[in-house]
Amino acid sequence: MNGETSRLGPLSSLRRLFQVREAPILIYIIIMIAVFSVTINGFFSMKNFEIISRQITTIGIVSIGMTLVILTSGFDLSVGAILSFAINIGGQGIVLGWPIWIVYPFMLILGVILGWINGFLITRLAVPALIITLGTMNIYRGITMVITKGVYITPIPSVYQVIGNGYIPFVFFAAVLGFFIYVTLTTRFGRNIFAIGGAEQSALYSGVPVRRYKMIVYIISGFLSALSGLILVGKSGFVQPQAGLGYELNAIAAVVIGGTSIFGGSGSVLGTFLGSVMLGIILAGLTMLAVNPYWQGLITGILIVLAITLDSIRYLRR
Amino acid sequence: MRTIRSVSSPRSGQLKIIFILLGVNILIMAVLTYLSPTFMTYGNISAVLTRMSELGMLAIAETVVLISGGFDISIGAVMALSGAVLGTLHVVGVPFSLAIAIALLAGVAVGFINAVLVVNLKLTPFIVTLATMSIVRSVVYALLKGHVLTELPEKFLNLYYVYVFKLPLLFVILVATAVIMAVLLKRTILGRRIYAMGGNERTAYISGVFVKRIRYLVYCLSGFICALAGLLFTVRIRAVIPDAGLNAPLEVITAVLIGGTTIYGGKGSILGSLLGIFAMYLLLNGFSLLGLNPFWEVIILGIILIFVIGQEGIVRSFRASLSRRRL
Amino acid sequence: MISIENVSKSFPGVRALDDVSFTIQDGEVHGLVGENGAGKSTLIKILSGIYPDYEGSISFNGSVKRFNSVHEAQQGGIATIFQELTVIKDLSVAENIFLGREPMRRFGMLDWGVMREKSEEVLRFLDTLLNPRETVGNLSVANQQIVEICKALVLNSKIIIMDEPTSSLTEHEVHQLFLTIRRLKERGITILYVSHKIEEIFEICDSITVFRDGKHIGTVEKSKTSHDEVISMMVGRSMNMMFPPRTAHRGGLLLSVRGLTRRGEFEGVSFDLHEGEIIGFAGLIGAGRTELARALFGATALDGGEIELYGEKIGYFSHPNRAISRGIAYLSEDRKGEGLMLELSIKENISLSILKKISPYFFVQGSRERELVQSFVSKFKIKMTSIDQIVESLSGGNQQKVIISKLLLTESRVFIFDEPTRGIDVGAKYEIYKIMNDLTAEGKGIIFISSELPEVLGISERIFCMREGRLVQEYSREEAEPEKVMKVLTGGNAA
Repeated sequence: MNGETSRLGPLSSLRRLFQVREAPILIYIIIMIAVFSVTINGFFSMKNFEIISRQITTIGIVSIGMTLVILTSGFDLSVGAILSFAINIGGQGIVLGWPIWIVYPFMLILGVILGWINGFLITRLAVPALIITLGTMNIYRGITMVITKGVYITPIPSVYQVIGNGYIPFVFFAAVLGFFIYVTLTTRFGRNIFAIGGAEQSALYSGVPVRRYKMIVYIISGFLSALSGLILVGKSGFVQPQAGLGYELNAIAAVVIGGTSIFGGSGSVLGTFLGSVMLGIILAGLTMLAVNPYWQGLITGILIVLAITLDSIRYLRR
Repeated sequence: MRTIRSVSSPRSGQLKIIFILLGVNILIMAVLTYLSPTFMTYGNISAVLTRMSELGMLAIAETVVLISGGFDISIGAVMALSGAVLGTLHVVGVPFSLAIAIALLAGVAVGFINAVLVVNLKLTPFIVTLATMSIVRSVVYALLKGHVLTELPEKFLNLYYVYVFKLPLLFVILVATAVIMAVLLKRTILGRRIYAMGGNERTAYISGVFVKRIRYLVYCLSGFICALAGLLFTVRIRAVIPDAGLNAPLEVITAVLIGGTTIYGGKGSILGSLLGIFAMYLLLNGFSLLGLNPFWEVIILGIILIFVIGQEGIVRSFRASLSRRRL
Repeated sequence: MISIENVSKSFPGVRALDDVSFTIQDGEVHGLVGENGAGKSTLIKILSGIYPDYEGSISFNGSVKRFNSVHEAQQGGIATIFQELTVIKDLSVAENIFLGREPMRRFGMLDWGVMREKSEEVLRFLDTLLNPRETVGNLSVANQQIVEICKALVLNSKIIIMDEPTSSLTEHEVHQLFLTIRRLKERGITILYVSHKIEEIFEICDSITVFRDGKHIGTVEKSKTSHDEVISMMVGRSMNMMFPPRTAHRGGLLLSVRGLTRRGEFEGVSFDLHEGEIIGFAGLIGAGRTELARALFGATALDGGEIELYGEKIGYFSHPNRAISRGIAYLSEDRKGEGLMLELSIKENISLSILKKISPYFFVQGSRERELVQSFVSKFKIKMTSIDQIVESLSGGNQQKVIISKLLLTESRVFIFDEPTRGIDVGAKYEIYKIMNDLTAEGKGIIFISSELPEVLGISERIFCMREGRLVQEYSREEAEPEKVMKVLTGGNAA
């Protein structure tokens, strides 16, 4: 009765960091780092961690948006497409010579708009978010391809690469992470997200503005996809129309591995962070072990299955 | 738009869709004939029919899975897998007929894995097949090491030029599969049970249907058909490519849903799905003949998908039978 | 004071509430009793704002109000604690209590301090030891209920409706709940306590209203009435229910079970079923009858007991298919969820269980199928436009006939009917009784589960009373009297 978790107040948020669900993943991560450091020369180095941290960032930011969406028991398959749309269409601004302080906001706004469209369709049509975002994913990608005609945007002014240098991507990631951990733990909006995913009917009856909050969640997802795109451009130095392919899969993987239930109502942003870290470390380690990079999909897939099996067991036990 | 569901009879609702699709197809063909002189030629139509063979097969597989109340997004990946397995085995010297058999078995194996995860572990089909899609795709890349494989026996590749009653062999295989599956669904006991499971799994169970067993069968069958589709694809493009079927899920699912099969199960027809695929390919063909950007196809498909399902969804929401756990 | 005046509500095929009028006094604990289908839950939903359209009016202290949404009802001071609790399992106690109206600071931040304080205040008032920070999913059902009560308090509810609150509670927890209710009463809160457990009603309520078949039968003060009187009001002298004359003769032993047990659901159940016989199972919700039926039929697993079918000892059925193939048919109480495939046709629904019978090898013989289906449609006079019509569009009674047709086609010898007449109009009910009668005349045996006492007593040869998973009493038709039986079902005789 008087047992477990404390979840009230900022201090107890810290205590929440070590809640049952996230602890195992942290342990797995530590184990993986240890194993890889022993078996691979040069794994345990600042340089390597820097590289890994950059790789994790782009998917990681998208995953945070995905976490919120999945918490409300929704789905967003269009994240990769939004990313691509934002940077490519927004990137036309670069081609036209617009200054960066116009281009960046433009890209972000595009993400917001696309996210809004998702949210609108999902909340107005009684259709699974899965199907809607399957549709919008392809619409957005299609439009991107039509407008760009498949052409890369390169070269781009070096100022765009600032955001992708060194540890800066990770700083962004950390900032976004911190912000959303805060939101999901201490704001009414954040807590109500859990209610929507856990028992939507109840939440509705209790006066939670379900429809509005769902819209916001998809807008956030769109925004974060666009943001992630900015960093991607910074890292790679060019804009390609095929950007973001497969991001949805990896984002879902990170979310699910991080302990968030695909049924909604249960999980955490921190868990997703750990999930993306774990994914990143495993993939990096395997690459360094000269395992064929093509096995990545396999690993991701298996991890997803393991994670949802665990989730299923936990869910059924309730 | 049109009503998908007619309350007085499921048959008339289905029939309506089929007629509408038929009409749409004829309309498109008429427009294209008018706009382009090369459209209504034997060569062009042949090419269209051949090209839609493999996606048509995938649509057949997905139709059966959806009717049974399941969901399979790994269809494109399995299609790529069979080609990759075939090509790889051939390169290392395995006798070709054996290689074909193994390639088909690989598809069944994936279907089996899907079934185990969905039936025994009771995981949601969407995520499961998403995961297996990723796994299979990576196996494909690993097998082919990212390359395109063109070394294949001439006798096999020349099947492309075989004609049966003036129709391309590949298309005939599609039709044969379609007919077999359609007969299975509409005329056999097994087919009835598949519809029943999709209509209401609990009712089917209580009425004595071995739901679990049939689900296994359906997923394995789907895997087999997708693998077969992969073989057709290989013959058509005379190569094995790792990216085969990447766009398949969207195209196939859209076509199948337009064709009257529902996401929730219990309703659908092979004919409808094929007409949907045909319409899509006519559009694509039209685009290329008229020099339009083919990427418009994806956009239009996405819009159609949302609208068709949206309409169905509104009908559904009145019945308040939405189960979010399903997918 | 709540005045309910001439309230009526109908659903397709059923008149759930029929011109109901009574008064609930301020600050009292008012009990509402009645059997399943008496109309209790419909009234609750009307009061809670879930059904805004109804005939009649409801006034609070003189002013008529109509709540168009749950939200409005809550604003109006009504809070309902349903049987299926609506707490959010992943949030804490405090967060649940304040769901939807959390106190906030700047930037949308929740004011934890205020939440914790107010929660503790309320929890202290109810004299519980719950920690506001506890995750609700970890709490027992009883404590989750407390959380819901707290929520109602924080809403400044003047009226709290409790719907079958003790169905998942232990005896001790029930006692605690009653203490809580008394405390609420001290605060001047009016409580509408809806239950079918007479014992509890008499312990905690000040006055009692009885519903039966959607009608208001009477409202009495507890001190002025007795168990028996309430029971007789619940059950009614309404044996003006028509039953077809029973013509069947009891034949040989069909089914004999001993000590059937399924952990957590029922224990040690033993009975016999003969040819030509209808045995009725009476009981309240949660008594375990449906669970018994399903386990017997093979839909769920049995943990213990023996089954003898047609004179032969058999093992448990591992799947409904096995039971069907051995001549047992089951009509589920969940018509829509488990009896029909709503989007499929009448024909497809009816023929589902006998597909093998009408087809050589793999192919369904369309003509034979249509023939058989048509014969049953005519026999039972199912109102439809064609057998290809979707069953969803049929009325409740006709839908039930479709399911029964499906069962009858299996030519089983043992039939288990679970609530076959629930939600069906009187005319159709009679037809179903006739069908049951005809079946027994052919030498079949029927296990009849129903929560409507008159019908169980009216049509069964023998009546078995189940309570909390046990078969507590057996009556022959002559011995069984409504009040006697109800007393047994509600725990009157045994502890």
